[in-house]
Amino acid sequence: MKSNYLFVVVALALIAQACFAGSVKGKVTPGKSVVYLEAAAPQMADKTVTMDQKGLLFQPHVMVIQTGTTVDFLNSDKVQHNVFWPNISGDKKKSHNMGTWPQGQKRPFKFTEPGVVTLLCNVHPEMAGYIIVSPSPYFAETGADGDYNLANVPDGQYTITAWHEGKKVQSKKITVSGNSTADFTLQ
Amino acid sequence: MKRYSAVRQAAAISFLLVCFVCPSLSHAIPAFARMYQTSCSTCHSDFPKLNDFGKAFKDAGFKFPADDETFLKIPATMLGAPAQKDLFPKAIWPGTIPGIPPIGLRFNTFFQKTSGNRGNFDALVPAGTPAPFIPKTDFSSGLFSIFAAGNFGSDIAFWVDQDFNVGGDNTAGGMGDGYLRFVNLGRVFKLPKDALHLRAGRFELDLPFSQARNINLSDYDIYDQANIGQLAFGPQQNVNNQFTMIDAMNGIELSGGHQYGGYHYSIALVNQNTSGLNQPDNSSGFVPSVAGFASDANFKDIYGRVSYRFNLEQDPASRNAVQAAGATGPRDHTYLNLGTYYFYGRSVTRFSGQDLAATPVVLTARQPFYRTGADFSFNYRTFNIYGLVMYGHDVNQVPVDATGTPLALPLDPAGPLPVGFVRGAPAAFTGGFIQADYLIHPWLMAIMRWDAVNSGPDRLNGLVLNTDTPFALPFRSTRNRFTPGMQFLIHANIKASFEYQIRPQQFVTVVTNPITGAPAALNPFRTNTIVVALEYVF
Repeated sequence: MKSNYLFVVVALALIAQACFAGSVKGKVTPGKSVVYLEAAAPQMADKTVTMDQKGLLFQPHVMVIQTGTTVDFLNSDKVQHNVFWPNISGDKKKSHNMGTWPQGQKRPFKFTEPGVVTLLCNVHPEMAGYIIVSPSPYFAETGADGDYNLANVPDGQYTITAWHEGKKVQSKKITVSGNSTADFTLQ
Repeated sequence: MKRYSAVRQAAAISFLLVCFVCPSLSHAIPAFARMYQTSCSTCHSDFPKLNDFGKAFKDAGFKFPADDETFLKIPATMLGAPAQKDLFPKAIWPGTIPGIPPIGLRFNTFFQKTSGNRGNFDALVPAGTPAPFIPKTDFSSGLFSIFAAGNFGSDIAFWVDQDFNVGGDNTAGGMGDGYLRFVNLGRVFKLPKDALHLRAGRFELDLPFSQARNINLSDYDIYDQANIGQLAFGPQQNVNNQFTMIDAMNGIELSGGHQYGGYHYSIALVNQNTSGLNQPDNSSGFVPSVAGFASDANFKDIYGRVSYRFNLEQDPASRNAVQAAGATGPRDHTYLNLGTYYFYGRSVTRFSGQDLAATPVVLTARQPFYRTGADFSFNYRTFNIYGLVMYGHDVNQVPVDATGTPLALPLDPAGPLPVGFVRGAPAAFTGGFIQADYLIHPWLMAIMRWDAVNSGPDRLNGLVLNTDTPFALPFRSTRNRFTPGMQFLIHANIKASFEYQIRPQQFVTVVTNPITGAPAALNPFRTNTIVVALEYVF
């Protein structure tokens, strides 16, 4: 009997979310950008992903994660690498240097602060990668056309932010109620 | 004989001039930056100075020391499928060429300001004779050169560079280096990895500190030192050896070990060329040559070098790696490198003479000479101090007449003819340099350097130019200077350099002390020079 009640409650909750959740669609110019929503308080994830250094490149070049995610920095090259970031979204107090480690080994780092992390290697200055730390689970990477769709976003007030490599980050307030739209043209 | 005398005079005058402007040659390799899509600073700390990774890259035959193909962004062009190896000898062994023409270009331009005393040297030429004009300030285009380097597969590396313009407007340059290097040839003989390499062609000797990758605007004085025998004031020396350590050599070289840790050795057999770089080709119409063969003699000069580098990291893995593993990223090792080197050659002078029966003969003096010394380099993080000492020694065979009396040089056409040689006092010099480089920021290098060359013949030869106004008489050092400098990387491939050359006091006016009878110098002065350079490679 208890399990029947539980089933009903969960079903109602899902129906309620469907009724009171919407989506945010839009287009970011130029394409190949990242969009994420920021709620009142950061929501932590418990995931681990890998950022590789291979062929003198950060792979993937851009990675979007949620706050609380741990990134394993892997060195797949037969040369020594280093990973550091001079700031997070311009805040130099959040700079960090991960040190040196040989091929095949990795070092983890848990990102708890949202923002844009520019990854650099201090021996190969041409290397750069980006980790976009979203404070919510509602984020997306656009395709080359710039279109995005954030689905199942609970109704409410948010700040939506768009990022593209080399462009100025743009944020705007948005109220989600049903299907919403937010377009960006990044300069 | 006239040519011989003229060469000696020209050499003595050149010695004075070389003190003023002597831009050095150096190279960084943009072709590699393109092929690997990586920055110059991957291999250079302040181009063209190599960091530890750059040394390993060069040692490996212009390749990444391991997994080179995974780093190439522009794959090499195959000159045969690898499977063709299985068909050998019925197929050509497959190789590769770089996927793009591995060409780089380099240009630099200079500005120089020389102190107001520069005109004092006018007193060194006879009255009424125009003296070499030394401007107070001057602009000059420097070097424009093209160079190519890479790897042909099978661990065969290549290098070639051509200088179109050197040290002045429309000044003819010439061939720089050009060689093939067979890396790890020792694998054929089951030797340990990298125990034996072979290089053939035209190359800079394996000097303790490369002049070609020297970051300074001026050459190391000791590397430029020729050995011209004493012309006057005492026993004359029949030595006219134009050889300098930075001459490009034609020959072959065996080498082994690494520049970034452990042992390193090289031994080279090179053409003898002690008549200067521009000697004419052998031109016998009876034995025409297919190329400009221009040795002085059959004898091949020999150069050898041995060094050992102690990487001082405590962690064995870090100590043995190409780069040390620092707390905040890879970096050059903390190391102490000790080495020694030796060059042996023969310098040739010829005279029209006679034998004891008064039959005309050509007399040839083959005068052995050597250059030897030791070197060190200590590096701590971004601070590097290094230097070397050198001793140069030329055997001096003085022409004598039939009575055994040494003949004055240059020979008097109306005087007795030489019949042979006797060994006189050798022509020798000592010298060296110490330099400290501190990389304050990755883009900012501070330099302090001391050069010294002590050559009695050079000093005395200065007197020959004008015996009325002796030059530098009280000094044993003929070249001795401090050279602080700063270098700024505007980009990784563009550099602005500043060098201030502080020379020792010199004199052109000497009088005799009426009390002691000893010479006394008057009006000492310095001819310091500021040199500023802009340089780029692409």
